[in-house]
Amino acid sequence: MKIQHYLVLLYPHVWRERYEDELLAMLEQRSLSFTDGVNLFFGALDAHLHPHLGTTGMSLCERMIQMISTLRRSLLTIFCAYIGFILAGWAFQKMTEYDDFVEAARTHSIVGLSFNLVVIGAVVALLAVLAGGLPIVIAVIRSALVQKRRGPLLLLAVPFLAFAVFLGTTFLLEALDHPGNHLSPVWHIFLSRGVFFGTLILAAIVSVGSVCIAVARSEISEKLLRFAVLPSILVTIAMALILAATIIWGLGLRDAAPQLFAGNDGIVRSSTAATWLGIVIAMAIATMLAAISLIRGFSARSALRNAAA
Amino acid sequence: MAGSPKHGYAIMEDIEAFAGVHLGPGTLYGAIARLEAQGLIEPLPTEERRRPYRLTASGVAFLQEQLTGLEIFASMGLQRLASI
Repeated sequence: MKIQHYLVLLYPHVWRERYEDELLAMLEQRSLSFTDGVNLFFGALDAHLHPHLGTTGMSLCERMIQMISTLRRSLLTIFCAYIGFILAGWAFQKMTEYDDFVEAARTHSIVGLSFNLVVIGAVVALLAVLAGGLPIVIAVIRSALVQKRRGPLLLLAVPFLAFAVFLGTTFLLEALDHPGNHLSPVWHIFLSRGVFFGTLILAAIVSVGSVCIAVARSEISEKLLRFAVLPSILVTIAMALILAATIIWGLGLRDAAPQLFAGNDGIVRSSTAATWLGIVIAMAIATMLAAISLIRGFSARSALRNAAA
Repeated sequence: MAGSPKHGYAIMEDIEAFAGVHLGPGTLYGAIARLEAQGLIEPLPTEERRRPYRLTASGVAFLQEQLTGLEIFASMGLQRLASI
């Protein structure tokens, strides 16, 4: 398969159904330059951001079903990005609870102010997720009760079970970490870091996955999905604000307390600077994913409104 | 497409010939998809995998309006230049 075939595969399925064959026929008429390749890549990104493109051959009903499905997927992706962001934020919170960081936040205004911004952003994002997500969860429960399906209810119970397993693992690790147990350093590191973080990440993935499956398999009204786009805007803005504040916090700390920034007070006694950088990268990826999904969701929402008009 | 229906490659060649601008395939098909979604162009039956497009009635009206606006703008500019 030639490179242009792979590049065209980057386009959304619906778009390809409509334009793939004629686009490939056009590309076969001349050799593909590097700039044309880049142009195709950005064309595919544009098609993902505007999911209504390529749906003109569909009936109105098919188009609306397609846009509702796109809107639902976009909202679920924003939710997944938010949970990923929360994990990175949790690492930031754990790192900054040490006395040295609390002292730095109190004595250096830029560090203190940026930390407060992170807290404000986190509260705003949480409230927005609850505002958009709770009505959807209630709709999932209602739909399951009306249709007498236990599956969605069991899926919604998974996050609680995963949290219980995580708590249980934490208590078990604490018990094993007792001075009476003469564990070798390798076992100690494996238990305190590997098992702890492994369980945490696994619990997060299983929880998010089960909620997403429950929402994807339930009947949720178009009105509810369209409404959820508005809190999603707030969530994405809050994520961007927290990301900016975290970057400023790190840069401020480097200038105000260079010995602390260059030390080993990061997660599990790793480098502070490396932990901060890792958190910033994880937050940036999550924010970008949320922003792309928000544009996609907004586009699907507008297409739905136009189709209904 | 104002002269006759054209498929993607012909549109790209035409633009290169009269405007001296190379339109990338992603940009071209992004524009085709948008114009089709807005009802300004419509596809014709496929000819050997190539699909020609033509202007719809509303596409003709829209183009007429845009070109008239450009004509007024260009003639006004030329008049003012002549007075210098």
